[in-house]
Amino acid sequence: MERTIGNSAAAQNVSKKEAKISVGCNQKNRFIPIFMTGTVLLTMISLIYLNIDWLKLASRVPQIGEVFCELAHFDFSNIDQIFSSILETVSIAVLSLLYSLVLGIVFGMLAARNIFRIKWLSVLTQSVFTFLRAVPTPVWVLLMLVCLGMGPEAGVAGLCVHTTAFFTKSFAQSFESIPDETIEALEATGTGRISIFTNAVLPAAFSQIVAWTGMRLETNFSECAVLGMVGAGGVGFVISRNLQSYEYGTAGLAIVFVFVIAYCIERLFVALKKKIAQ
Amino acid sequence: MTKKISLGVAGQKKMYTAFLIAAVILFVLTSVYTNFNPMTLVKNGDAFWSFITEDFLPPALPKASRIPGVLSSVLVTLALALSATTIAAIFAFFIALFGSEKVSPFPKFAKVVRGFATFLRNIPALVWAFILFSSLGIGTGVGFAALFITSLAFMVRAFVETMEDVSQDCVESLLAVGASFPQRVSQAILPSCLNGFLSWFLYCIEVNIRASTIVGMVGGGGVGLTLFTYIKGFQYDVALSIILLIAAMVIVVDRITGRLRKEISK
Repeated sequence: MERTIGNSAAAQNVSKKEAKISVGCNQKNRFIPIFMTGTVLLTMISLIYLNIDWLKLASRVPQIGEVFCELAHFDFSNIDQIFSSILETVSIAVLSLLYSLVLGIVFGMLAARNIFRIKWLSVLTQSVFTFLRAVPTPVWVLLMLVCLGMGPEAGVAGLCVHTTAFFTKSFAQSFESIPDETIEALEATGTGRISIFTNAVLPAAFSQIVAWTGMRLETNFSECAVLGMVGAGGVGFVISRNLQSYEYGTAGLAIVFVFVIAYCIERLFVALKKKIAQ
Repeated sequence: MTKKISLGVAGQKKMYTAFLIAAVILFVLTSVYTNFNPMTLVKNGDAFWSFITEDFLPPALPKASRIPGVLSSVLVTLALALSATTIAAIFAFFIALFGSEKVSPFPKFAKVVRGFATFLRNIPALVWAFILFSSLGIGTGVGFAALFITSLAFMVRAFVETMEDVSQDCVESLLAVGASFPQRVSQAILPSCLNGFLSWFLYCIEVNIRASTIVGMVGGGGVGLTLFTYIKGFQYDVALSIILLIAAMVIVVDRITGRLRKEISK
């Protein structure tokens, strides 16, 4: 009886005004609006601080189109040079990746808190590599150039510094995400530290290592293309020199090569990640 | 005699071997091609060490009159990274809406949007900077544009992936009851994906702080240019203090974004 009354009252209510059921989620994070307003404010301040002459910039925008037009007129006369330089870039990227992979696993083992359980060691390793990671790669390459002279050696060594630092941090993170029970169980059987690492931790972190490596190969390749511009050889050097001497055809072709290889690397690792995830 | 029980999975072992062989082959090929020999590093160890101890250490401050300039160049780098990333994020959000087949009002168009983003993304920021320098001239504005392009493309991809990961059911059910495109965006996508978007945004800021230093080196202004000038001028001790300054800047920004990310995902 009561229910019918309630229903009819509700029906009357509805007929009086279109009642809405609130669908919104009530558990909102209060911090997000604050964060977004803060970011927008800071952005405005920084735009004012930068004081960019937008009109001048906008008036030159049509020139971008012209440059692209000229870049699209490929000049195939220097293709062998472009080809060898791109091969050099790829080799530098892969070689530095391989060196850093080994170094990264070793240092990641030292930096992870659950492998050796020596606190000062992991803190020390992590802070050293935090510093190394914080300095951008071209700076390392410039310094290596000073020590080793021009050429791919400086590129490999400079890239290694940053890549190793990156791997150390991310591998240590993956190693630490291994459940403690696994390690404790092996400890109870009296297994040595190193064999715990090689037999339990490393296989468990393997898929993550592959994912990090793939991600890093992309970055390494694009940074490698950048290195040439500070003087470490490779395709970056070809691009920057040809752009500066207005030989847009050659530069355009080199840029297309860079794009194609970067795209292939990306596709390859998307496929690989899917396969490993299965 | 003791027998061993093999604990590994058979297929896994095969995969490891394959990876190992591939790595060794790649290593040999690339080593031969680049002529890189780690022994040269060891052999040059003395020169290396003397370079570090004599030229670099101790870090020296730049001339007192230059210090305000150096500090303001740090601010320029920070401002460049932040403003370029924020504006790119706003654009990327709207573009990403059209880049996801499930969300976009023109699903056939989505592939084109994503392809364009892929094109922009796979050309490194510095190459963009060089292309733009040759058409727009050198300056902070061009550094801004170069950072804007790459972070726009990066975030379009990240945002599209976030949307595809999260909100299929929500979007579909809203579509079924006849919600319009803006309604679908504001009621289904924003609530479920905003956290993901913001954490990608923070990641992009971290990347861009480094990138804006690098773009600065080739003429985009900021602390990168300052550093480059000192290195080119062989004032390595001053360069070291600027490197330390850059490192401090990056570490502080990483700390801040880490904290913010935790607050956001609460």
